[in-house]
Amino acid sequence: MKKILIVEDEEIMLNLLEKKLKTHGYKVFSARDGELGLSFLREQDSPDLILMDLIMPKLDGFSVMAEIQKDDRLKKIPLIVISNSGQPVELNKIKELGAIDWLVKTEFDPQELLEKIKKQLGE
Amino acid sequence: MSIFGFKQSNKSQDQDKKIALLLTDLTSLEDYINDLFSFSPLPICFISPLGVILETNPAFESASGFPGEEIIGESIEKIFIKEEISNITKETLKEGFVAGKELSLLKKDGNNLVVRVFTRTRTDENLKPIGYFLGLFDLSNIKKTEEELKRVQKALLNILEDTEEARRKAEEEKDKTQAIITNFADGLLFFDKNHNLAIINPKAENFFKTDKEKIIGKTLKELINVSNFGKLIGFLGPEIKDIFRKELIITKDFIIEVSAISMKKDEIDLGNLVVLHDVSREKTIEKLKTEFVSLAAHQLRTPLSAVKWSLRMVLDGDMGKINKEQKEIMEKTYQSNERMIALVNDLLNVARIEEGKYAISPTFIDMVKFCQSTVDSIADGFKKKGIKFKFIKSSNKPIMVFVDEEKLELVIQNLLDNALKYTNKPGEVVLSLKETPKTVTVEVKDSGIGITKGDQARIFSKFFRASEAILIEPGGSGLGLYMAKNIINSHNGKIGFESQSGQGSTFYFTIKKQK
Repeated sequence: MKKILIVEDEEIMLNLLEKKLKTHGYKVFSARDGELGLSFLREQDSPDLILMDLIMPKLDGFSVMAEIQKDDRLKKIPLIVISNSGQPVELNKIKELGAIDWLVKTEFDPQELLEKIKKQLGE
Repeated sequence: MSIFGFKQSNKSQDQDKKIALLLTDLTSLEDYINDLFSFSPLPICFISPLGVILETNPAFESASGFPGEEIIGESIEKIFIKEEISNITKETLKEGFVAGKELSLLKKDGNNLVVRVFTRTRTDENLKPIGYFLGLFDLSNIKKTEEELKRVQKALLNILEDTEEARRKAEEEKDKTQAIITNFADGLLFFDKNHNLAIINPKAENFFKTDKEKIIGKTLKELINVSNFGKLIGFLGPEIKDIFRKELIITKDFIIEVSAISMKKDEIDLGNLVVLHDVSREKTIEKLKTEFVSLAAHQLRTPLSAVKWSLRMVLDGDMGKINKEQKEIMEKTYQSNERMIALVNDLLNVARIEEGKYAISPTFIDMVKFCQSTVDSIADGFKKKGIKFKFIKSSNKPIMVFVDEEKLELVIQNLLDNALKYTNKPGEVVLSLKETPKTVTVEVKDSGIGITKGDQARIFSKFFRASEAILIEPGGSGLGLYMAKNIINSHNGKIGFESQSGQGSTFYFTIKKQK
C-alpha cells in the first residue's frame, strides 16, 4: 500500500483529502503544520509522496521544502504543493525548492488531484 | 661818435662814450627783446589799461588767426568774451598779474580756443600801470586729451560698473541656484558631460546615506560600487538615458521616482540632471492596500476551496449515495461557489494590476527560460481543451532582459490564457520569441475567434470586454489586457496586436535586451 503524507493546517481540507485518498487505497499520514510534517519525515520511513500546503502555522511550506532539500533521503520523495495562493512568482520558487507539481485548491477538485497522484506514483 | 650829433667836452666826452656804450647796449637789448618776443612760441600781446591791443607777437597772431594789423589798436574784447576779459584786466591792474585763468579765445575763423591766460602789468617810473602783457597757453590739445581721458575714464567706469553689476547678478543667481539646489525637496544630482558626479544636494546625500566628499567627482564606474548608490547608477545605465518618473526600489522601505534629463545649451552637451523623488510613503500605502487585497483574497479562497472540495466529494459519491434532488441542489450550490471563486480571482488580479502600474522591481533574467517555465504552467490547459500548442524559440541561447519577473509572467500568462479561452478545438496557439540586435518580441498567435474592427480600439481599456468574448466567457473581468499594457508600458516596452474577426489574433510585446 502506497504511503502519502499530507501536511495541511485546514482541518476540513485535511479530512476531505484523507477520505478521498483512503477510499482509493492509500495509507495516509497527516500533519497539521510544517513543523509536525518535517519531524514526521525525519523520524519515520519515507512516504511515497508528500502533499503540502504553503501557508501554515509554525513553519510554512517554503521552509519545509528548504529543509527537505538539505536531506538526501527526503529530497527524493515527490512533493506536490496544494495552496490557496496562486502568485506566479511562487511557482518558480517552489520549483526551485524541488516540488514536482502545484495545485491551486480553488482551481482543482479532489478527483483531478487523485489522478495527478496516481500518475506520479506510476499507477 | 655821438648819436645825438653835438659836440662835447673831454670830460663830457668820457660821459658821451659811456652813454654811447649804454645806448649800444640798450639797442642790442631792445633787439634782443624784440627777437625774443617774435621768436617766443607762446602767444603774447601787450594791452593798454583801457584794453586796447598795442602789440602782438607772431605766435599770438597765429593762435588768434588775426594778422597784427587787424587787431593792433582793437579792443581786447574782440578776441575774448567781454565779461571774462574785463575781469582779467581789472584783476591784473589791481594785483599786478593773473596766473593761469582759463578763457575762450574767439578766433578769426569763428572757432573758440580754450587757453590759459597769464598777465603781468607794466608800469612807468612812478609805478603807474601803462598796460599789461598777456600770454596765452593753448589748452586745446590738453583739453582734447583731457576730454579723451575723461571719456575713457567714464567708459572704463561704466565697464567696471557693468562688470560689477554682472558679477553681483551672477553671484546672486549663483546664490539663488545654490539655495534652490540645497533646499530642494527632491534629491538632485548633476553629472558633467564626462558622466562624473558634479553636484549632489543634501537631500540626495540623505537618500543614499552618503557623504558628498566621498562621491563627488567620481565616475559612474566608481559610483556603482557605492552601496545604495550603485542601484541608482545601474538604473541610469552607462549613458544616463533620459528617464521620466521611473520607479526604483532602493530598499524595501525606500522607493524613489527617478527622472533623468540631459542638459544641452546650443547643442553642446552640458551633462545630465537627475531628480529623485521619494515615493516611499505612497508606495507603503499602496503596498498596504495591495497586501490587504491579497490577504483578503487568500483568506476568501480558503473557505471557498473547502466548500468546493466538500461539495465535489459529496457529488462524486465519495461520501455515500445521494438522491437526485440532493444532487441537483448541490450541483447548483457548487456552480454558485465557482462564480464566487472567479470573483475572488478577479479581485486578486485588480490588486496585482495596481501593483503592476507602479512598483516595478526588475532583475536580470533569461527570456527563453522564463517563457519555458510559463509555458510549463499552462500547457496542461491546452491539452485539456484539445488545442495544439507550440513554443518556437529563435535559439536556445539565453536572451537577457531586465524585467520584473512576476509582472511579466502575468502578461505572458494573460496572453496565453486569452488565446486558450478564445480558440476552439481544433485550433492552434503558437508562442514565439523573436530577436533583433536590441530587442526581443514575445508573440502569441492563435487561430481563435479574433476581434471585430469595432472592438479593436478599446481592447486595452480597463473593464472592456469584446462582444464575442462575452459570449464565450461571460465571467471575465476585462482586466487582463489592461493589466498587460500597464506592465509592458512600465518596462518601456511596446504592446500591440493584429486581428481579424473569425481569423484569429496575434498579440505581441517588445522589450529591450540587456547585454
